[in-house]
Amino acid sequence: MASSIAITASLQRACSPHHVTKKQQPQARPARSMGTKQETHVVALETEGPKGLNIAEQEAKFGFNAGSSTTTSRDAKDDDEAGSGLDTEPSAPKFSDERWKNGTWDLNMFVRDGKMDWDGVIVAEARRRKFLEMYPESATNQEPVLFRSSIIPWWAWMMRSHLQEAELINGRAAMVGFFMAYLVDALTGLDVVGQTGNLICKAGLLVTVMGVIFFRRAQDFDSLRKLADEATLYDKQWQSSWQDQDAGDGDSGRGGKKI
Amino acid sequence: MASISLKTFVGLRQSSSDTYNSGHVFPVKHLPAQPASRGLRIVAGKFSPKVTGRNLRVAVVGGGPAGGSAAETLAKGGIETFLIERKLDNCKPCGGAIPLCMVGEFDLPLDIIDRRVTKMKMISPSNVAVDIGQTLKPHEYIGMVRREVLDSYLRERASASGATVINGLFLKMDAPKGATAPYVLHYTGYDSKTGGVGERRTLEVDAVIGADGANSRVAKFIGAGDYDYAIAFQERIKIPDDKMVYYENLAEMYVGDDVSPDFYGWVFPKCDHVAVGTGTVTHKSDIKKFQLATRLRAKEKILGGKIIRVEAHPIPEHPRPRRLAGRVALVGDAAGYVTKCSGEGIYFAAKSGRMCAEAIVEGSENGKRMVDEGDLRKYLEKWDKTYWPTYKVLDVLQKVFYRSNPAREAFVEMCADEYVQKMTFDSYLYKKVVPGNPLEDLKLAVNTIGSLVRANALRREMDKMSV
Repeated sequence: MASSIAITASLQRACSPHHVTKKQQPQARPARSMGTKQETHVVALETEGPKGLNIAEQEAKFGFNAGSSTTTSRDAKDDDEAGSGLDTEPSAPKFSDERWKNGTWDLNMFVRDGKMDWDGVIVAEARRRKFLEMYPESATNQEPVLFRSSIIPWWAWMMRSHLQEAELINGRAAMVGFFMAYLVDALTGLDVVGQTGNLICKAGLLVTVMGVIFFRRAQDFDSLRKLADEATLYDKQWQSSWQDQDAGDGDSGRGGKKI
Repeated sequence: MASISLKTFVGLRQSSSDTYNSGHVFPVKHLPAQPASRGLRIVAGKFSPKVTGRNLRVAVVGGGPAGGSAAETLAKGGIETFLIERKLDNCKPCGGAIPLCMVGEFDLPLDIIDRRVTKMKMISPSNVAVDIGQTLKPHEYIGMVRREVLDSYLRERASASGATVINGLFLKMDAPKGATAPYVLHYTGYDSKTGGVGERRTLEVDAVIGADGANSRVAKFIGAGDYDYAIAFQERIKIPDDKMVYYENLAEMYVGDDVSPDFYGWVFPKCDHVAVGTGTVTHKSDIKKFQLATRLRAKEKILGGKIIRVEAHPIPEHPRPRRLAGRVALVGDAAGYVTKCSGEGIYFAAKSGRMCAEAIVEGSENGKRMVDEGDLRKYLEKWDKTYWPTYKVLDVLQKVFYRSNPAREAFVEMCADEYVQKMTFDSYLYKKVVPGNPLEDLKLAVNTIGSLVRANALRREMDKMSV
């Protein structure tokens, strides 16, 4: 159950970044042009605490925050390079980390108390990707990136982020379930045993479960509707030649919606 | 308007005998005996009036791959063909990649192909680089051609088959006055006498194939409607020979928000230089920034190169609302037959030109009868039926994998899988969507979801931190 929820959780993520990409773009661009003073970009990364439900995706400004760091071990060289980036040099800072060797993470350096610290690997890789998003580097043949995120075991991901969301959803489902069972009992006199035997109640239960999974935030309605539109738009564009068969001059300029 | 009488297969209606009872009884979908209004039914052109004293005349506007192959097929089918092309030595901005099947299907001589690309490198936003092409058999490759060479070869072949190649710029077209009246094309003809200015001329034809590209005038004339289009921007860079060795038979694809928000950046090897470019639909005004980013990502590999040419061109994203009106049909880029995800258009242009021409040849019985809209609609039917799965699959791929950086990371990760590579190349090189092994498909689906989940989880981590 948790894994299916986890999957839908990431599908949500897969949907939403696209729709906010446009908004993020104008903010991200200035950070990337070479030679501009980087200290003018303020970091205002909002988080919602430990939970993964991050509306900050939409409001995050990519920025540059010399001096503060959320990761445990950090190469001092990064700070220097960050500092040198403040001079309006044309070359952007390069990513470097003492645990990043030969295009992959040296997993031996992530051992803590004799056990593998996968959380550290996840955080380090996220930091690397974030850095590269802000300061894209050229892909060289001499130092190819060999790291594959599939090396991190599935349970490490679960433990880190999905369990929290799963807990939230299960909690919601339980509360809604309890309340609805009470309400239906009060209205119809069917107790819980009777409700589970009734077809309408079971259908209602299914709808509720789906709703709790898919509509977690107010914008999910819009996202899912846009997704449905998107999925069928291409088909409509191809069919339009056939729909005009009967129409006179038909509709010109139909392809107005941009993906 | 001539009425068309037919003997229906079921014999439901006995239509009044008319002049065109050729004695054939064809299994026709049941049709009304009233004067058929144009376009209401698919009416077999076999019952159209014979064209007396001459062959059917068809004009092909535009002499690219679509126009060239259409003109050749028409001419070989015994139809009087006019191919109107405004610039016979046009060096078009184009990726220039053709699939293996095109060489066989169109009998292209092997010396047209400058390079055979047998390896590709996909590079993710975080520079994870994946090599693909290990599953290719020794005889399989992606051909890189120069458009001016390919286009002129196809035109010459059309001319050798009997088509008349006219160097002219299509201006406008007069609608026909009746079901069998001709279309009158107005064009500016250029030849040695008129010089650069050209001379206004007209041409009367019975049917027109619009193969004049993304900014098609024929499409405007028939009110075909607009499509969304991407801008592809490309710089041709001559790089030092030692760097050129790396690109001997390798093409690169860069994905990332920095390179393009909804497409990809590329480095394609050409005859003696590389083409570095990128494209976008939604952020056309930022195309220069994307190009800079692409060049940055490939910096070491193209270091020391000199830009010898800068070019840009539109790429249609989907077909026009109307690809056909009366006896005018659109093919190639004019119709919008460019796939999503890869942006491939040359093969589909040539194939659609050929298919449309075949429909005309068949509908007119090798030029003996007049065609009508129904015959041209057969081409649309055949095209949609044959290639719709290909287009749809590529559309789904683009929607899933090009939407965001995590999705692109997942995409590149998936490309490392051998099964994916095999399926991709099989469907690209032979233009058939082959249903693979179901067990492998299931594994692939699971892996895809896994990759997407991981990449998005990393994205959440990224959002929580500041660099």
